[in-house]
Amino acid sequence: MSELSITELSKELRSAIQSLETTGNLDEVGVVLRIGDGVAWIYGLRDAGYSEVLEIETDNGIVEAFALNLLEDEIGAVLLGEDSEVKAGQGVRRKGSVLTVPVGPELLGRVVDPLGRPLDGGPAIKTSQQGVVERNAPGVMDRKSVHEPLMTGIVAIDAMFPIGRGQRELIIGDRQTGKTALAIDTMINQAKQKTGVINVYVAIGQKLSKIARLVDRLKQEGVMDQTIIVATSPSDPASLLYLAPYAATAMGEYFRDNSQHALMIYDDLTKHAVAYRQMSLLLRRPPGREAYPGDVFYLHSRLLERSAKLSEDLGAGSLTALPIIETQAGDISAYIPTNVISITDGQIFLETDLFYQGIRPAISAGLSVSRVGGAAQTPAVKSVSSHLKLGLSQFRELASFAQFGSDLDEATKNQIERGQRLTELLKQHQYQPMSVWQQVVSILAVTTGVFDVVPAAKIKDAQQALLTRLWADHKKEMDILDRGAKPTDDLLKLIDTTAKTVAKGFEG
Amino acid sequence: MARKISRRALATYVADQLLEGVALEPITQQIAAYLVESHRIKELDLLVRDIQTILAERGHVFGEVVSAYELSEATKKSIQEFTKQATGASDVRLEAVVDPAVLGGVKLRLPGKEYDATIARSLTTLRTRYKKA
Repeated sequence: MSELSITELSKELRSAIQSLETTGNLDEVGVVLRIGDGVAWIYGLRDAGYSEVLEIETDNGIVEAFALNLLEDEIGAVLLGEDSEVKAGQGVRRKGSVLTVPVGPELLGRVVDPLGRPLDGGPAIKTSQQGVVERNAPGVMDRKSVHEPLMTGIVAIDAMFPIGRGQRELIIGDRQTGKTALAIDTMINQAKQKTGVINVYVAIGQKLSKIARLVDRLKQEGVMDQTIIVATSPSDPASLLYLAPYAATAMGEYFRDNSQHALMIYDDLTKHAVAYRQMSLLLRRPPGREAYPGDVFYLHSRLLERSAKLSEDLGAGSLTALPIIETQAGDISAYIPTNVISITDGQIFLETDLFYQGIRPAISAGLSVSRVGGAAQTPAVKSVSSHLKLGLSQFRELASFAQFGSDLDEATKNQIERGQRLTELLKQHQYQPMSVWQQVVSILAVTTGVFDVVPAAKIKDAQQALLTRLWADHKKEMDILDRGAKPTDDLLKLIDTTAKTVAKGFEG
Repeated sequence: MARKISRRALATYVADQLLEGVALEPITQQIAAYLVESHRIKELDLLVRDIQTILAERGHVFGEVVSAYELSEATKKSIQEFTKQATGASDVRLEAVVDPAVLGGVKLRLPGKEYDATIARSLTTLRTRYKKA
């Protein structure tokens, strides 16, 4: 009896499969009703899913779009290519998949667009894997707290606002305050210190000339081999600008999921929000504050949540994010800046005033913060920089107060002078990230008071002389210090003696 | 102001009435009056398509077969059979259209669905693939 029913079942299954095969080629089709500004309104395709890729058949081949507005009678889809090819009445089919991009080590050293197509004139990119552009962030149990340092090579950041692998640290400031420069230095430092961290730089609506300059610089510095650049220019459709950070994150996630470490730089999310606002308004979604749509917070939160430090079970890889936000006249309480500040684990605030006073990087000690990086700070740097932030903030306060009167007590005078030296010390030229030992030695020389005899104007020269002397005479000890462990008393003594000798040569 | 009735709701209403055997004239009068009053005459073609889609879902498929040359009776019959099998509809009515632009092969156009085995389609796919590489 049971055998009989199994035979029956098998027959039923076979006929079911056969009928499936015969209906397999019957595609669902829709029609383009209206087209304009990169948005196509499509009739039909009732079974299309949100964010599904649609193929519009034009005279010159197929143009892809993705469905974002699923209404009762029509679909609003954003084109991924030029809209000049698409005309009303053309047929549309479902691709049956959401957007994916090529991912893998094959992308290293390449400049690609958000769909993974090469922009550097190199050969087509063939990877064995594809990554989903919109992917869920790892859950609570998949994560581990941030505990390994991600050295930026910038003394002010590594000492006062340390960044850990898996952290999201916002770089925020007005135009021309050195936001991108900070990010580029961090990328260069990964190659210089041989940290093995992969850089993924996302240019959202950046001038192509700027991207070309960046690529040249990265090649010069030997960083390009461990870097992927996802580039979009202001002339690209808003859809590509919108997709760029998600696609780049998918590329970064490949390394995170394969027990490696990657650093994402989103340059910048203000332009990303503007591109999304354009798309949303064209899709006739209701505008909210500053005409941004209601889900503009989710736009960035879901993106930045994908940066994480994974648990040991998942290979302990990490994805660190350095999103960049451009403010208008230093207003950090505008809509997009406040959103991203609340999403990230801290921010590095760059001030125009400091920048034009020649304090570069123009990091504001009072407004910048790193919420989780403390646990990840290199022990060597941590041991020497505990009071740095407080000292610098107090100095800036005192310095503005001291402008009004010249009669200051000795203690205040000393504090101001120490602050001036510290400010000088934290100045750093672009493309010159410092290694751990250089940072530790420099900070020690000022905070222990050894350099108190050196006038503020000569601090940088004295610092350089000290570093050169130590590297020439005590390379082995400095190598040990560079590994990041807390310096021993003997080592501290050695640095102190050498610093004193150097300081004598610069006495004012 | 009265709430806008979606096109899909209108189409479902018409399809239901037609299937119940209500005479065509009162329905067309009603719909025409509604479209004129709500300034939606432009949607007429889409409404007809919607009605076709809903009728197809209820087992009455109206479609067309496009080919570069006139098809033989046997081919037409096998396409009719294929359509019945693929859609599961009991009532299939296909209209034959000759369009040299498809170059060769056959295209079966059903409400909301399509089977495209024309040479024109193959060329478009090929062109896109060549462009991408």
